[in-house]
Amino acid sequence: MKRAFIAALGVLLVALALYPITATGYGIRFMLQLFMWVALAQSWNLISGLTGYVSFGHVAFFGTGAYATGILVATHGWHWMPASLMGGVAGAILALIIGYPCLRLKGPYFAISMLGLNEVMRVLVSYFEGLTGGGSGLSLPALHASVPIYYATGLAAVAVTATAFLIITSRFGLRLMTIREDEVAAEAMGIDTARYKLYAFLLSAFVPGVVGGLQARDQGYIEPMAVFPLLTTITMIVMALFGGKGTVWGPALGAVTLFVFQELVWARFLYLHQVLFGAIIIVVVLLMPRGILGILQQRYQLPRTI
Amino acid sequence: MQANAILEVRDVTKRFGGVTAVNRCSLALAQGKIYGLIGPNGSGKTTLFNCITGLERRDAGEVRFKGARIDGLKPYQVARRGIGRTFQIIRVFPELTALENLLVVTGGPFEAARRRAEELLRFVTLDRLGNEYAGNLSYGQQKLLEFIRVLMADPELILLDEPAAGVNRTLLNELLAAITRLRDQGKTILIVEHDMKVVMGLCETVFVLDYGEKIAEGPPGLIQTDERVIEAYFGR
Repeated sequence: MKRAFIAALGVLLVALALYPITATGYGIRFMLQLFMWVALAQSWNLISGLTGYVSFGHVAFFGTGAYATGILVATHGWHWMPASLMGGVAGAILALIIGYPCLRLKGPYFAISMLGLNEVMRVLVSYFEGLTGGGSGLSLPALHASVPIYYATGLAAVAVTATAFLIITSRFGLRLMTIREDEVAAEAMGIDTARYKLYAFLLSAFVPGVVGGLQARDQGYIEPMAVFPLLTTITMIVMALFGGKGTVWGPALGAVTLFVFQELVWARFLYLHQVLFGAIIIVVVLLMPRGILGILQQRYQLPRTI
Repeated sequence: MQANAILEVRDVTKRFGGVTAVNRCSLALAQGKIYGLIGPNGSGKTTLFNCITGLERRDAGEVRFKGARIDGLKPYQVARRGIGRTFQIIRVFPELTALENLLVVTGGPFEAARRRAEELLRFVTLDRLGNEYAGNLSYGQQKLLEFIRVLMADPELILLDEPAAGVNRTLLNELLAAITRLRDQGKTILIVEHDMKVVMGLCETVFVLDYGEKIAEGPPGLIQTDERVIEAYFGR
């Protein structure tokens, strides 16, 4: 079973690596978006799925990465590859600054503070016009690099999934889960919960920053409303919840399922798809808060590495 | 105050708004003995535990462990100094397995921790349930799991908050035997307990709290005849 799974995974990765040879422009764009959602849902899972600290402003790291990359490319003439890595660094730095005070907040207060962070970042970016272009946005020099960005985004998705696997199978990951289960008891067992939360938060902010940078490069134009949308945060949360938070493959499964579903419905029914998406959110929260893999895991006593 | 006390609580006071939960409370524990902490509901036993372990910050007084001040430390720092505790209401990690509940406790390389965890599970006859989620265990089993989780870090001082509550007779006797064995290994143990049989049978010295104040201290036999203690429990 395990060997078959690894073999299938290998075949899938090779197929994805070879895909651009035959792909259409639409196909590349579709897969690139898919990778982005996998990476975002997986990142969110690292902090919220494991420690239970629900980040309701995770797109702030995406937007910050997009702007950091955009500025480095447009104003300083950097190549997009190092620039998007710096986007990740920018996301992690923001997480460090905001995580230190905000991770002391519990439950809904943390969620709301993160929501506030996103709004603040959007206003800041609009305000500092000289640096960011303000509300009229920032244009990057023209470049057709969809295929390299396809690989880079795919790599980000694979890297964050591998990170999730390594964390969830380690004592570090178990300790993150004790924070979700009972933070007071975790402290009493000698776990420095503040430090552990901050580490998880930094890890979970890095990849969204990178992906934001890659998106900025791919789109060629960014503006505050486009890179700090609340809907992006909600979508990554729903994807992770749908697939199964706190598991290795849940967020990826949720991202693939919901993104494909959205694309299929969106192409046919422009307005209906939002209604359906809303309905999915309600069904997930009410009927299957553990998500698909969470339910399977609980029922059949499967390891979290599913 | 004893000079060789492993734990020394001196004039600790803790207020919640207008309520003084612990009032100028002092006690000293010598190493290798079992102590009891009793008192009517709301007399401040758990709050005192919380002040010792850093979950609550005391308003006045000091707490020393092996001579060094520990009041003001964070709970995880107190734990790492060598003080382990259980909770009145069970606080296992329900969605972690029994084994994982033990493995997360800090200290030591992974393989050594694993061996110790398996040993402790055998110690309380939970070894067949190691891969079961802690939340699926019975109340008594969770209680035992919480107890051995404290032992994982090999603490020198163990604070037990009502370890006997809800544990059946058979398990209780094993638990009491385990506590005595720990004492024989040189551990110091402080127990909050309502079951007087447990307190009287196990403890060498008993502290009695009432309205946050220590009203009596001494061997269990003497405590039972102390007028203030009788008054606190039964009224005048």
